[in-house]
Amino acid sequence: MMSLIDKLLERRARAAAQTASRRGMLKSLGGVLVGATAVPLLPVARAEGGTPRPVEEGSDTDCDYWRYCAIDGFLCSCCGGSANTCPPGTEMSPVTWIGTCHNPADGRNYVISYNDCCGKSTCGACLCQRDEGDRPPYRPDKTNDINWCLGTASATYHCSTAVVVGVAFEE
Amino acid sequence: MMLDKFLLGLVVSFASLGVFAQDRPPPLPVEPTGVIETLPERYPPDWFLVHDAAFFHMSDGKIYVIDTSQDSLGDQVKGLFNNVLMGAILQVPSRGEIMSVETFHTRGTRGDRIDVLTIWDTVNLSPVDEVVLPAGKRFMGMPERVVLQTLNNDRWLAIFNLSPSTSVSLVDLDAREVIGEIPTPGCSFIYPNKDMAFSAICADGRMLTVTLNEDGSEKDRNFSDAFFDSDDSPVFERPPIVDGIAYFPGFDGTVHPVAMNGSTATPMAPWSLIGPDESTWAPSGIEIDGEDDLGRIYFLMNPEANGVDGMHNAGGAEIWVFDPDSRRRVLRIPLQEWGLSFAVGRGQEPKVLVTNPVDMSVELYDGLSGEFVRKITGFGQETPLFLWGAK
Repeated sequence: MMSLIDKLLERRARAAAQTASRRGMLKSLGGVLVGATAVPLLPVARAEGGTPRPVEEGSDTDCDYWRYCAIDGFLCSCCGGSANTCPPGTEMSPVTWIGTCHNPADGRNYVISYNDCCGKSTCGACLCQRDEGDRPPYRPDKTNDINWCLGTASATYHCSTAVVVGVAFEE
Repeated sequence: MMLDKFLLGLVVSFASLGVFAQDRPPPLPVEPTGVIETLPERYPPDWFLVHDAAFFHMSDGKIYVIDTSQDSLGDQVKGLFNNVLMGAILQVPSRGEIMSVETFHTRGTRGDRIDVLTIWDTVNLSPVDEVVLPAGKRFMGMPERVVLQTLNNDRWLAIFNLSPSTSVSLVDLDAREVIGEIPTPGCSFIYPNKDMAFSAICADGRMLTVTLNEDGSEKDRNFSDAFFDSDDSPVFERPPIVDGIAYFPGFDGTVHPVAMNGSTATPMAPWSLIGPDESTWAPSGIEIDGEDDLGRIYFLMNPEANGVDGMHNAGGAEIWVFDPDSRRRVLRIPLQEWGLSFAVGRGQEPKVLVTNPVDMSVELYDGLSGEFVRKITGFGQETPLFLWGAK
């Protein structure tokens, strides 16, 4: 499936009037976005024998990774942490906001908690902004426009994780 | 022979020296050291404040004072002041001061947290005073126009808090002290509502209005009817405001006017920015709207954002200008490349300054004709995410 980024990049190439995609800002900032078609599928877990195991696909250092559907920040996977852990010496924010992302590997929607890692200056790598389901800060439970280093010893933002905290209810 | 040549050369050299000495201008005067430039108390209409939030190193945010009427960089840059850790600013011309809420830690990125209101004077761009705020409360996020607001004839400064519980701190700018905190549970930001009240936008689609007593304590509060659904039909939190009416743009291009009556906020009939053949257009960006002294309202528009989840912060290709009374679009400003944020200058011939996220420059447009005027860049900016027309 062609991702939104690919569509927009294609449109950009075709469009004479305007040349920036929705990620224009990120690209100009030296972001690490790449076309989704260039990303190899990396199975995290495969079924072996009888009991199926949970599966994910994709690289957690890529902005198109499924968990990052609502993220806006630097990916901790590029900063010494991972999609669900903070880099050494930082502190994970205990309060945060959540999004709902679809895992294409198993067809389920998951509730994702975007906990920030705090206490060191901005990581600076893998800036990623996708914003799906994001709302302005009058909906704090659904906003990525604020610094979520709240309730931490330091308010200094370092990077963002995307922790699976549950399977979303079926609508 | 040798002596002859030497004497001839000597004569020629002295003759040349005499001619040169006669033609040379007088020497440069000795200059004093320690001279510091100053700025006018009231900034001209072509000046803008460019808030570079330093997204890659947030402890080094800066606000540049830029004269957009000039052609050369040396004439454009008037100075700067700092704003640490994604803070908020508000210029208050009646006081000759710029309010700046920011955050420090005692060991740089760690140590005790200190939230402070730093007060800069507009002439010297120097910090003239500060008020230490309750730690860990002030809103820290992408820059907004609705985080700081003066009340009571510019005597009080209201500061929006999100910790993530929401409230408004009140600072007496004469006494330079915090005089109170007003809880606004479920509601965020500060919208001017005459001089002794403020409004806030609520997650349930209503507006809260709080009226204050003379001592800054709460006198009354009430809620409007709901005028949007934050799940299904969200609005942006940043409205242009003309004659006491806030025009909240919806993600879908619907405008929701709300009249600020002084003691209440009253939603009015919505209308659409989008024409019949423009169904894919929608407002998008960080600083997506503004107003001018002619009473017109401006919106940054994206040709592909309408109905596309996640596109509301992407920025836009054009700025559309409307007469809010007739609800007619009076101007389209096609941008050179792309826009992420913009601000409108004051005066009868307003200029529009736009952040171009492709090269992180700022670009100037004529607010009456829509024509591109000039690109301003290379002044040290990295992520000029938010712009203000100077006052």
